[in-house]
Amino acid sequence: MAEAKLQETATEAMISTLSMPQGGWAQPAREDALARVRAMGLPQRRDEYWKFTRPDTLTQAEPVPAAIFEHGDAPMFDGIDRLRIVFADGEFDADASDDLSLEGVKIERLATAMSDLHWARDLYGTLEKNGQNPVPRPLAALNTAFATDGVLIHVTGRPSKPINLIYKHKSETSDAMLHHIVKLDAGAEMTLLENGPAAARFNTVMEVDVADTARFHHVRAQGRDHERRAATHLFTRLGTESLLKSFTVTVNGAMTRNECVIELTGDDASAHVAGASVGDGDFHHDDTVFITHDAVNCESRQVYKKVLRNGATGVFQGKILVKEGAQKTDGYQISQSLLLDGDSQFLAKPELEIYADDVACSHGSTSGAIDEEALFYLRARGVSHAEATDLLTLAFLAEAVEEIESENLREEIIGRLSSWLERRSG
Amino acid sequence: MENVTLKENDGVKEGVDQETVDAVREVGGKYKYGWSTDIEMEYAPKGLTPDIVRLISEKNEEPEWMTEWRLAAYDRWLTKKEPDWAMVDYPEIDFQDQYYYARPKSMIEKPKSLDDVDPKLLETYKKLGIPLKEQMVLAGVEGAEDIPAEGRKVAVDAVFDSVSVGTTFQDELKKAGVIFCSISEAIREHPELVRKYLGTVVPVSDNFYATLNSAVFSDGSFVYVPPGVRCPMELSTYFRINAENTGQFERTLIIADKGSYVSYLEGCTAPQRDESQLHAAVVEIIVEEDAEVKYSTVQNWYPGDEDGKGGIYNFVTKRADCRGDRAKVMWTQVETGSAVTWKYPSCILRGDDSQGEFYSIAIANNMQQADTGTKMIHLGKRTKSRIVSKGISAGKAQNTYRGLVSMHPKAKESRNYTQCDSLLIGSDCGAHTVPYIEVKNNSSRVEHEATTSKVDDDQMFYCRSRGMDEEEAVALVVNGFCKDVLQALPMEFAMEAQALVAISLEGSVG
Amino acid sequence: MLSIKNLHVELEDEDKKILKGVDLEVEAGKVHAIMGPNGSGKSTLSYVLSGKDGYEVTDGSATLEGNDLLDLEPEERAAAGLFLAFQYPVEIPGVGNMTFLRTAVNAQRKARGEEEMSAADFLKEIRAKAKDLKIDADMLKRPVNMGFSGGEKKRNEILQMAMLEPKMCILDETDSGLDVDAMKLVAEGVNALRNEGRGFLVITHYQRLLDHIKPDVVHIMSDGRIIKTGGPELALEVEHNGYADILAEVA
Repeated sequence: MAEAKLQETATEAMISTLSMPQGGWAQPAREDALARVRAMGLPQRRDEYWKFTRPDTLTQAEPVPAAIFEHGDAPMFDGIDRLRIVFADGEFDADASDDLSLEGVKIERLATAMSDLHWARDLYGTLEKNGQNPVPRPLAALNTAFATDGVLIHVTGRPSKPINLIYKHKSETSDAMLHHIVKLDAGAEMTLLENGPAAARFNTVMEVDVADTARFHHVRAQGRDHERRAATHLFTRLGTESLLKSFTVTVNGAMTRNECVIELTGDDASAHVAGASVGDGDFHHDDTVFITHDAVNCESRQVYKKVLRNGATGVFQGKILVKEGAQKTDGYQISQSLLLDGDSQFLAKPELEIYADDVACSHGSTSGAIDEEALFYLRARGVSHAEATDLLTLAFLAEAVEEIESENLREEIIGRLSSWLERRSG
Repeated sequence: MENVTLKENDGVKEGVDQETVDAVREVGGKYKYGWSTDIEMEYAPKGLTPDIVRLISEKNEEPEWMTEWRLAAYDRWLTKKEPDWAMVDYPEIDFQDQYYYARPKSMIEKPKSLDDVDPKLLETYKKLGIPLKEQMVLAGVEGAEDIPAEGRKVAVDAVFDSVSVGTTFQDELKKAGVIFCSISEAIREHPELVRKYLGTVVPVSDNFYATLNSAVFSDGSFVYVPPGVRCPMELSTYFRINAENTGQFERTLIIADKGSYVSYLEGCTAPQRDESQLHAAVVEIIVEEDAEVKYSTVQNWYPGDEDGKGGIYNFVTKRADCRGDRAKVMWTQVETGSAVTWKYPSCILRGDDSQGEFYSIAIANNMQQADTGTKMIHLGKRTKSRIVSKGISAGKAQNTYRGLVSMHPKAKESRNYTQCDSLLIGSDCGAHTVPYIEVKNNSSRVEHEATTSKVDDDQMFYCRSRGMDEEEAVALVVNGFCKDVLQALPMEFAMEAQALVAISLEGSVG
Repeated sequence: MLSIKNLHVELEDEDKKILKGVDLEVEAGKVHAIMGPNGSGKSTLSYVLSGKDGYEVTDGSATLEGNDLLDLEPEERAAAGLFLAFQYPVEIPGVGNMTFLRTAVNAQRKARGEEEMSAADFLKEIRAKAKDLKIDADMLKRPVNMGFSGGEKKRNEILQMAMLEPKMCILDETDSGLDVDAMKLVAEGVNALRNEGRGFLVITHYQRLLDHIKPDVVHIMSDGRIIKTGGPELALEVEHNGYADILAEVA
């Protein structure tokens, strides 16, 4: 068929611009991933999970150039004691980074971790590969094949401070691909922060293996460059009584596709994923979440909030899959959008697929304008229209921010959101 | 009572006594309408070719334009692919191994009146509980005495395999200006109406099954309610598949002209056979300004046996087009039968202030698979839609709600509310929810809620401690779960539906 | 203080006249009550004065201390000193009660060119005022009116009134949904705020609230007009004989 041929041509065009890092323990996994990419082909509009998001700017061989945005604000997470690891346009920046040593955790870089029997060998590309079924994620496989760098974090204890991956954007035409592996041993606990625009086009994969009773906190602030594009993938496997809490805030960006693939494989595990996004104008933001319950008495929560105006588009595709035998599952999902004007749109597909009977699963999705009753109530108390709108918008987003466990980080995010909103309306 | 330990593969919960299990097994899988009528039939040759299409058209004494319309649909069908996105799984259908036309020999000469209809056919419908005599159908039904005599009349069009056997109360309806007849009769007697509306809601090329239906539909019902007329009685069509290896492809066309009102009921059954049979219907409803149509279905095709042998493949395209302002349509469906169901009664809300409602109960037991839901397409201003879907899965069944709510940029100040609940009975079944939500203006509000859970233990315990057995308790709790939808049905259907809910779940407990 | 002249109001969406020429003067330091049967236009009057959308003023005027109210945005009316205690206080998920009040207090101060209240002062004041109204710390922390009982919501309205210190207070059916104890508490809150500079307009269906908040003047409203005005005895008359007699007498 002609379509298949076109897809093949596009896939090969993309592959031809990339070069696979050679040698080392990751090589077989990279070759395997390349075969997957070729078998699947890059995403196309007709693919079920690309219905609402045009994949072309993510799949074309050359990235669309993106201007660099000088916001002049203090760096994100600046007030928080953390270990900084900086990448600029996908390249490790040793000068800007802290010393990669911290008690309770071993940090290496993908590009330089050369030992043949590396612990990451069993994980690199493994969770990504598992996550290809039933929904193909070709951009993630492409990343596994061609990622140029990334961090390998082995958490054996409870490090005293968060690790912060900082992504700087310096070239208007950069195309970056990073692949991170995080492995938490039984009982370990860590917080990983990510922030920054990274590149004109950014493709990341993070594979996280959370062993029994371990806890992984993930807080991400995507870069505010208006024209940047990103496809991110978080693959997480959760063991017995383990915990994942992942939160993403997105403000600006021409194209963001955040895929989140989580598998609860041990009993009594818990996964909370949340996102708050604010889009104005040329903004397309897509959260695609797939949570699989494959163990007993697990809990999962998805809380996604989107504020859209001036023609911005918000997409939410979330699924809870409860496999046979995953009894006592508690699955919850909410996706809501606040449309601040008539041009914006919200497209959603909240799904439940359930093969066990002793479960309590629910999802809700709403879309609408700001609550006029609440707006009037605030104005009747003397608050201006703009300020009242901000207050209600912030309250709307706050429900997602509440999912972050650390109070410091919650306050950091709320503070940023509130100052961005204020500035916009001011 | 002694609790017994059960083998794991029994899928029986602890604490259920053996007696209940046995009792349940015994009644399990009973299908009341599984008998067949032994009657001499006339068949068209097996398979589908342009000649068969012409033959069907000829048997129905159709004008040239209709034959051409069918042939064009046939050509289209050859280029189309069977849809594969639904969560249903069935062996490939050999479309050349089907009969596309079957009629009782006694119907070759059209009976002049119902009195001339073959007694065997009349007997069949009597046995199904469908009176083809013009009488009060509700006589003897509990609560019927509260309704004025006028309201109890129901006009029936009875379709047996490929042909309409007869339509009751035609004269009385004619007095009111309402046309209610088989679609084959309408093509002959009211070609201008059929030509104007047929295929305008569900285009010939809409989907694989609709295209197939357009080529080979043999009969079905036609309703036209003129401007300002409130149809004086409920209209209903009763579909019966009897012949073996025969597909039923009925076509229904309902036109509610300006300011009119009609309530239409549809029922379906089929004999119990080991081979699966195909049913691919198309229903088109046109609702003009200020008109209102209520369409209720109790679908009870043979579901196949406990092992998934036999049963009807039910691939149906139903759509209503609210063309005028303030037009209103309400779909209510109780889907308990069929081995496979693929059905999405939809509303196009084109007129300003038009309204669409969809109330559904879908029960899938044993090996049944149902993928059903609705589409609400909001195009006009201030349009409203409401979706209430109750899915019940038992045995090894898979039950999917699939829906679309779309708010177009021009559909300002529109509203949708969707409530979509699934109930699971037993650990081997599945319940799935696949809603699509597309909002393209900010003055509209869309709210979607869905839950999935099992039958509430506390409710079950409460019922049982009051003396109900498990099966009764489940039936009661499930009926409560379905209440919002049952209330939307016309009364005579509500009673039938309620009983059907209980029957469909027989054998599901344990 | 509040001066309403020949006020005519229609619903914006439908061609329906609600107020058909209302005249009313509320002087500083006085409590006026408006009573009337359901659908007489009492709540509409309160909404129109506070600036809710959906109503069209077709004739007449409403001024507060000589300033035209009808031209102002709702927040400007609030800053000018008008306060409406809602019949159905709105629930706002995600916005803490304290945040809400502090935002309101400071917005009004700013609008009047006054200094914002410091966090410490605000806290001190709200704690003291909340205590009088038996509002506990938990209620202050929860989102605005979320999960509040009927009585808690009305007490919260009075707390806002106490914090915002308006010149002209309108109480729209503040007694609805309250039991006797809750009503007493609310009435005490209102009475504590009575002073020479402040006017009150108490809208109520029943006389019982007026046992606790003693009015100076009582108006009876029917079909969009004030049809009778008198002293507190008028409220008692309604209590004993209902509205029918008065309506008949005027008709």
